[in-house]
Amino acid sequence: MNSLQSIAKTTISRRSLLRGAVALGAASALPLPAFAQAGDTIKWWDIFQPLIPLHEKMWAEYSASHPGKVEYTGMNPSDMMQALQLANRSNQMPDVFNVPNGTPDVVSSLQAAGWFAPLADSFVFDKPFQKEVLAEGFTSFGGKLYSFPIFSFRQTDTSLWYFKDGFAATGADAAKGPATWEEARAAAKAATKDGKYGIILPLQFVDRMKQHLIDLAQAAGGSGEIDWKTGEYAYASQPFVDALNFLLGFQQDGSLHPASSSLDARQGRARWAAGESLMFFDGPWNSGVLNGNFAAVIDGIDVVRVPYPAAAEGNSYTRRSPKAGTFFISAQSQNVALASDVLQQLTTEPYYIGLAERMDQPPLDLAAVEKANVHATYRKVLSSYPEYVRLSPDPLIRNPAVAQVYAEMKPVTPGLGEIIQGAFSGAFSDPKPVLQQFADQMTAERNRAIEKVAATGAKVSVDDWKFDAWTPGEDFTSDKY
Amino acid sequence: MRQVSGPAGKAWMVLRYVALAAFCLVWIYPFLWLLSASLKTPMEIFAKGLNLMPDAPVWENYSRAWITAGFQGYMINTLIVTIGTVAVVIFHTALTGYVLGRYEFAGRKLIIGILGATFVVPAGLTIIPIVDLASTLGLMNGPWGIILALAGSGQSAAILLYAGYFRSLPKELEEAATMDGANFLNVFFNIMLPLAGPVTATVGVLTFLAAWNAFLIPLVFTFSAPELRTLPVGMLAFVGTNETDWSGMAAAATISLVPVIAFFFVVQRYFVEGISGAVKA
Amino acid sequence: MSMSDPRELSLPRQIWRDRWIYVFLLPTILLVGAFTIYPVLASVWFSLLDWNGFSRAGDFVGLDNYAELMRDPLFWNSFRNTMVFMVLAVPLRVGIALLLALVLNQAFPLVRVFRTAIFLPVVTTAAIVGVVMRYVLDPTGGPLNIVLLNSGLVSQPVNFLGQAGLALYSAVGIWVWKWLGVTLIYWLAALQTIPVDALEAAELDGANAWQRFTTITLPLLTPFTIIITLITVIEATNVFDLMLTLTGGGPFYATEVIDIFVYRQAFLSSVPRLGYSSAAAIFFGVCFIALALVQLAVVTRVRNGRSGK
Repeated sequence: MNSLQSIAKTTISRRSLLRGAVALGAASALPLPAFAQAGDTIKWWDIFQPLIPLHEKMWAEYSASHPGKVEYTGMNPSDMMQALQLANRSNQMPDVFNVPNGTPDVVSSLQAAGWFAPLADSFVFDKPFQKEVLAEGFTSFGGKLYSFPIFSFRQTDTSLWYFKDGFAATGADAAKGPATWEEARAAAKAATKDGKYGIILPLQFVDRMKQHLIDLAQAAGGSGEIDWKTGEYAYASQPFVDALNFLLGFQQDGSLHPASSSLDARQGRARWAAGESLMFFDGPWNSGVLNGNFAAVIDGIDVVRVPYPAAAEGNSYTRRSPKAGTFFISAQSQNVALASDVLQQLTTEPYYIGLAERMDQPPLDLAAVEKANVHATYRKVLSSYPEYVRLSPDPLIRNPAVAQVYAEMKPVTPGLGEIIQGAFSGAFSDPKPVLQQFADQMTAERNRAIEKVAATGAKVSVDDWKFDAWTPGEDFTSDKY
Repeated sequence: MRQVSGPAGKAWMVLRYVALAAFCLVWIYPFLWLLSASLKTPMEIFAKGLNLMPDAPVWENYSRAWITAGFQGYMINTLIVTIGTVAVVIFHTALTGYVLGRYEFAGRKLIIGILGATFVVPAGLTIIPIVDLASTLGLMNGPWGIILALAGSGQSAAILLYAGYFRSLPKELEEAATMDGANFLNVFFNIMLPLAGPVTATVGVLTFLAAWNAFLIPLVFTFSAPELRTLPVGMLAFVGTNETDWSGMAAAATISLVPVIAFFFVVQRYFVEGISGAVKA
Repeated sequence: MSMSDPRELSLPRQIWRDRWIYVFLLPTILLVGAFTIYPVLASVWFSLLDWNGFSRAGDFVGLDNYAELMRDPLFWNSFRNTMVFMVLAVPLRVGIALLLALVLNQAFPLVRVFRTAIFLPVVTTAAIVGVVMRYVLDPTGGPLNIVLLNSGLVSQPVNFLGQAGLALYSAVGIWVWKWLGVTLIYWLAALQTIPVDALEAAELDGANAWQRFTTITLPLLTPFTIIITLITVIEATNVFDLMLTLTGGGPFYATEVIDIFVYRQAFLSSVPRLGYSSAAAIFFGVCFIALALVQLAVVTRVRNGRSGK
């Protein structure tokens, strides 16, 4: 935690210095005097299409009072990484960009390849929760601040969304909703008739299915991909096997929409919203999409938290690692000061409220939703997160050298998402040995990477993945490392 | 070929029409669906099964595709890229086909061998070196990069078509022209190239179709220059993070199909004759 | 500047004499060299690197990527899928197109409309074909399944793209549908070379349509069959766009052909492996060229044998 504390310290001391400067100008606290030359433009690429209206408004306001403009390009999520790779090679990197699927392993590989520039020294945080989420390997490298999350880690992709009337028609408890696996399965079965089905799963979108499976395994009492008590990969553990069997149960019952196998989340959502199935697993952004595209149905929709097996009641959590920074400044940028200054606008309360109102991923400041004008389903989803979404430990925070292990590890195929797809497509009948094989391959790959990194003199071991202080129901806060 | 006569012949003809029409209708059903989807609301597209008629045609889908999504610009870009590619391809493949088809020279076999081998270069594989090269040459931010990259990849077939055709022309043509004092360039541009009209038509049409629908190269060449996107690449704009604008996409697809269908309808006769002229040789 | 025997002169003199020839070759040499040959050579170099694509250059690892490739069941899976695809799709496309060409080779009203209709899928971007065909083949609302169910041919909806055992065959069908128009044009062109008087003479001699086809048309078409098949085989190795939008290689790698494998390694996995991806492409390319040479040798031998008779 040394580096973290040093960041906090430097930002604080810089901040107190700056406070004097700002007081002189008698300006508002945050937007700092622009360091950019007049008329400078930064290029900005991201995949956050739902946030465009918010960002465009913010940039327009910024340009009205500061010299400097933002030139935005909305990117397709599936091409973004490829675009960045090619842009990097041809020195065409945007000044500001987001890293899609920016998990710490990807971010640390990019950092190792020299992609990022640190935020300008002028960058400050003025709220405690903003500093809490900074972490080496996630937002900072070598003690320098590179990025920060705009979204809260407290979220899940696997809330269960359903049609209120359709659910009541199955004879189940309408007030409670399909809270448990058993109830969800029964409701799906009862709703399967007259060409309608119980549930749609976006089986073609392997990354989403992987996240659904992890969330469901945790809801069944599992700790996640890693068993934090032992540091081992948990893919073949009982919660994972149970969760996969729970999903496969819909197929066995005939309540899984048959088109699921060739649908991604976008298509699955559209067809669920068109009434083809009763239920759909999705994240909080579902409110935003429904509100925009399917406004006619949104008021007939309700949502419950990640369903859990009845036996796991009370021991059912969603665990998420700290979030890596959302936006990064390119090392090729000629305009780090302006880029940092624009990014500073993403740390204000009005921004968090605006973010909530886009009804996409939850804002870093979950409390902002109280002041925001949002649909009831969004409010419901967000307000349930503090009850069951917990911060999990992360080896990268304990030992920054773990980043080298991540960078060294090669992807193991078939991955978890593909295994789910294979189980549904009939490529194999018993998923357990396949999950076991995946866990073994991951273990072997991690051991190989640890060995290779350790040979260079770095101090890493499997024990970096083991957290004795971890307890299932609590946040693994920085003081526990 | 078959002489049609009498009532039996008439019945046969009607039968053939009905069968062909039915076959073609099934064949183009997906396009009818596309057309109907372009006039429906997003909810209707999935809700109506076989019914192709929209409740009330949503013409707004077209204005959204044409103006909001920028397809008017994409259409112009695609025309520039396509016409430029056709011109460059015809120019360089005709020159090469001519000398390969009519002359023996040092290195000829090697060139034919290399062209043959490049028939099988997978498209996705070579994209990174292509981008490296284009950015070194400063070709990344204009239509020229796309045109040259498209014109430089996979043109073996066109070259061999030209070579085959030129080979078949009688030798006396040059001899007569040379006696009249024509030089190498005159012979090619004034006599040979005009004679190769059928091949030029074929190469032109095939290149037109390929360039119009080219995806990977325009995609990677316009990552940082969205204003240069072509129609197939622009289609991606309808696929967002969480949602896909199906009806807008269908409208855009219909828009981008119309010119190329019209083009094919008009040129198909020359096209067939061109190929047969080329292969006859 | 004539077709005289080049061996009469020394090489530099030959080159000087033929300078215009080389000037004519220059544009192609530059363009194909830059955008086809150089990228292939660069990929050969990449295939010897351990390289994630994020950094500017990778670490040299010799033939490690090739060795790993030989052990990778998913690579062999994609190799097999490509082969199965080719063996099924090529004869279907060539054969159906020939049948249609025989019907459409005659001049009758509306023939241009029919030809254009069959050509329609060819001029459509693969991305759109993928989207539309996923709908057409949809197990619940898709028209094909509705027709199959109503006609009683099947009792359960068929999951054309979602079933591991079926998806590749569905993709073959869609590919044939998409590209049939091109092959049709080739065949129409080939049929135009068949002399009409020979057919008429045979008809006067009392030969029926089938006899005319087998004794006159078919033998004359043989050289075209070889060329058209060869072109189609080559096209069948390049199904990237369509497969990506149709199935993305799924479910569970059932439709992962070589192109998709290469692309997945290079761009889709969270940490790309450009070296490994290049090795896969190079290895397959070499196999394919070897296959093509064998094919060519067989064809040449058969031809020579025939003409020798």
